[in-house]
Amino acid sequence: MEPRLAKYLHTKGRQLGLPIGGTFELTPRCNFNCKMCYVHLTQEEQEKRGRELTTEEWLEIGKEAKDAGMVFLLLTGGEPTLRPDFPELFHKLKEMGLMVSINSNGLLLEGKLLELFRKDPPTRINISLYGTGNETYKRQCGVPAYDRVIRNIRALREAGIDVKVNMSVTPANSQDMQSVYETAKELQIHTQATPYMFPPVRLHPEMRGQNFRMDAEEAGRIQAQFDFSRCTREQFLLRIQALRDGVSPDAQSEEECGDVVGEGIHCRAGITTFWIDWDGKMLPCGQMAEPAVDVLQLGFAEAWKQTKANAAAIRLPPECVKCKIKDVCHACAAMCYCETGSFTGKPEYICQMKQSYINAMMQYWQTEYGGKL
Amino acid sequence: MKIKRDFILREIAGDILLVPAGKTALDLNGMLTLNEVGAEIWKMLPEVESEEEIVQRLLQEYDAEPAQVREDVSEFMSQLRKLEIV
Repeated sequence: MEPRLAKYLHTKGRQLGLPIGGTFELTPRCNFNCKMCYVHLTQEEQEKRGRELTTEEWLEIGKEAKDAGMVFLLLTGGEPTLRPDFPELFHKLKEMGLMVSINSNGLLLEGKLLELFRKDPPTRINISLYGTGNETYKRQCGVPAYDRVIRNIRALREAGIDVKVNMSVTPANSQDMQSVYETAKELQIHTQATPYMFPPVRLHPEMRGQNFRMDAEEAGRIQAQFDFSRCTREQFLLRIQALRDGVSPDAQSEEECGDVVGEGIHCRAGITTFWIDWDGKMLPCGQMAEPAVDVLQLGFAEAWKQTKANAAAIRLPPECVKCKIKDVCHACAAMCYCETGSFTGKPEYICQMKQSYINAMMQYWQTEYGGKL
Repeated sequence: MKIKRDFILREIAGDILLVPAGKTALDLNGMLTLNEVGAEIWKMLPEVESEEEIVQRLLQEYDAEPAQVREDVSEFMSQLRKLEIV
């Protein structure tokens, strides 16, 4: 659950137009090579496309964002720890009075970096755990990194650092979903698994509606399987009741996105949160390729003002307004954009995935729990 | 009085937040909020020797019942002690 204070600050930020939460995508480079990634570039590709921001530029943006009201900052990539200045950036941004979290694949969270975190811990480290064996890692990420990643996760937990595990479920690693969940549970780590892979339209606009991922039916079933694994009977019943009543079973979850139905953006993107990509463009959300504005050229305050206005102008598919499962669905602006190339395009993959999820959940309820509501 | 943990005081649209800095986040993984008087006490902590000194300073500034101020300061300080902040 998201802490009450964070929720309160976002609510207040919404009224006042403050950028309460931000993401700095420090690099598109990564030491893994996942087929479904929406951001990864090799160094060569990156240099062709643009320039990563310098240490000083990120720190200046951090300061301007903090002055504008930012409290929560997520450092992500690519793999953010690949930057040699990562320890410095992390430390100096945290020193500004920010609650700094990190997204990482976990491979380099050891040695000096672990020592730094012992003295100066992040608010949370979100680690993508792609499987529970080197073979799965090799298939999924191109690197047999499991042993090292899990060792690093254990060391972080032993150091008392808050870790969350995220699992992207694809055709290359779906057989490990249950074991990822169990491994994390044993380490008392919260896991979030998702089979929904955003098409990588930021890298390849022509890839709209496509990615290395399950078909929509299978993705829905996988999501239901994960919910069945992690929920007690009571928790599962609550989800079934929510689905039956046509409301989102994730309404109370900590997720920052979702809840987008109907006319405009209903999540926090471009309302109290922003994303700055590796070459300094501000976006409402990192999955979108547009509307982007240049932070270096405009300065943070003006870039935020324009991002808010751009996000407010986004309209979503009219079909969704009338849909029976709209409040269960969570289809968001970024999904519409990535699936169809337009914010107003109906994301068929999402429709099928959600319907399949609902059917699979109901089936679990009937076969595993006797089925009465 | 010595503040034993690192925090950074921030003001966001009228709310006063103590954001954990340095190692503090290991034991206290969240922020604290202070009201206006709490923030004032926080700022004077490094300069005062005792709770009574805080009370006296507040009484110079606010037109309030000494007994009430004493009780409020005591409550605030006991919260800080509970979190091992002072």
